[in-house]
Amino acid sequence: MKLVFFNDNKLGLIKDNTVVDLSGLVGEINAPTPQDLINTVISEFDSRYRARFLLESESATGIPIKDVNIHAPLPKPGQIVAMAANYLENGALSEPRPINAFFKSPESVIGNGETVVIPPVPATIFHHEAELGIVIGKVAENVPADQAEKHIFGYVNFIDVSARGLGGVSFYWGKSWDTFGPMGPYLVTADEIEDDQNLQVKLWVNNQLRQDYNTSDMGHKIPRIIEWASSIVRLEPGDIVICGTNHQGLGAVQDGDSVEIETEGLGKLQVSVRDNLKRAWPASVDKEIGDRVAGRN
Amino acid sequence: MKLVFFNEFNLGVVKGQDVVDISEAVKNIPRVGPGDLMSRLIERFDDYRAAIEALVSTGSGVPIDSVRLRAPLPKPGKILCMAGNYLENGTLTEPRPINGFLKNRNAVIGDGDTVILPPAPVTIFHHEAEAGLVIGKKASKVKAADAYDYIFGYTNVIDVSARGLGPEGMDAFFMGKSWHSFAPIGPYLVTAEEVPDPQDMHIQLWVNGDIRQDYSTSDMGHKIPETIEWASSIATLNPGDVLFLGTNHQGLGSLQDGDQVEMGIEGLGRIHLNINENLKREWARGVDRSVADRIAGR
Repeated sequence: MKLVFFNDNKLGLIKDNTVVDLSGLVGEINAPTPQDLINTVISEFDSRYRARFLLESESATGIPIKDVNIHAPLPKPGQIVAMAANYLENGALSEPRPINAFFKSPESVIGNGETVVIPPVPATIFHHEAELGIVIGKVAENVPADQAEKHIFGYVNFIDVSARGLGGVSFYWGKSWDTFGPMGPYLVTADEIEDDQNLQVKLWVNNQLRQDYNTSDMGHKIPRIIEWASSIVRLEPGDIVICGTNHQGLGAVQDGDSVEIETEGLGKLQVSVRDNLKRAWPASVDKEIGDRVAGRN
Repeated sequence: MKLVFFNEFNLGVVKGQDVVDISEAVKNIPRVGPGDLMSRLIERFDDYRAAIEALVSTGSGVPIDSVRLRAPLPKPGKILCMAGNYLENGTLTEPRPINGFLKNRNAVIGDGDTVILPPAPVTIFHHEAEAGLVIGKKASKVKAADAYDYIFGYTNVIDVSARGLGPEGMDAFFMGKSWHSFAPIGPYLVTAEEVPDPQDMHIQLWVNGDIRQDYSTSDMGHKIPETIEWASSIATLNPGDVLFLGTNHQGLGSLQDGDQVEMGIEGLGRIHLNINENLKREWARGVDRSVADRIAGR
């Protein structure tokens, strides 16, 4: 199932090329915010909502997707845990780098059709990092790897927009700017994804393919990520863990760019980029960072 | 006003030696639970202050020492911690480059709770006593000159820290700072008007009755207005978000199994914590001179 928020934050699901309005089925949920709503839907999905949504979907007539505004499916996740440098860089690295992560601000999230605003700070460059996002389905605390799968509700496309060269090695400065977390368009439930370690992730800037890699190249695999992250932080329904990026193919994002990401089975997300300073960087793959992370210089 | 959660996360206000339950005054605030109630009250505080004050002035409380106090912000939207933000009793001539990190919001514990030290191969676990600043209204790209308008109040916080984990040369704050139970907050959330000078708060921390940290926020490197300007230039801050303002490392020391920790800022009450560490590792007791000297550049 592909869940979305659309128009004035109505919950819906995708049926072919339409959106089926589910808001009548979730009005019973006590939810001050859309994120609170989706958190409850996720928590009670198997026990309550999956069957109701499917039943509604069978009988309802959807609204054509092109006629609605799609918003981020997790507008303000409780926590966004982001894995750092977690790919083998197309096999260039013989083993994963030491496991590491950081938090990205929940305020960074934007959805389909929205705009990444590049801040007027002296970064050396701003990069796109296309990533697979895992959405947590039930509370995960000290979960062993062989139980990790049970805690996954679904998946989303995620771009970990990154500012380089600020504050030394500071992830807060690098990653947590407002609008630096494009996500969506849909939240795709886990049953639709046969093998999350074999998904092609693609990212285009102005229709030019930049990133094109497979999650099979991931260093620390998803079960280990959940085991490790949940040994430190309690993960809750609606939290997101983003799995890191393959740096081969990173490039600049700059004023006027249109960026698209598509992970197999997760739909295509499009966002625009604005930089009021109109700075210009090479509009192509950044070989320097690709080589550096792969240990080639 | 001193706001608290007590017993089964009843919302209360401290009145002398008592706590008055104010649940009735806030009953129509939409909330998921205690985790977000305080933040939602803060967001609407001007609308609720009079009703709360009326209830407190007429209501009878129960003695504080008869209730179980809980963290006043059990699950803040964000916890943003300032890194290396003191002049170390004036040893440093200027502040270090401004920096911060996000800390696990699910790590919050309150007065009387227990910090669980994980079985990870750390070199040491440290206490970092800090002033906690609670945001009062949505803050995005705030100018330093306006920063105090965005502060709701203050609370005691301890940025419990694990050393020696994570790749060298990288930002490894996630492994250093975000373990379960590593964010003690409380006992009260004290509204800003009760703190006469936030840049002259007196912070103290004791381990098993021995004083370890004892410093003033006057030694802060990047002052509160600059901190809010910088933090809000990057991420929008919301009502109930907590800024940990950083620690003075002179006086840091180990935490280990069985320790009893007490920490307080003048006017903000005192928080008490137990320490549990299943591996029963031992470190030198007392102040850790090596971290103090290193940060102070000695």
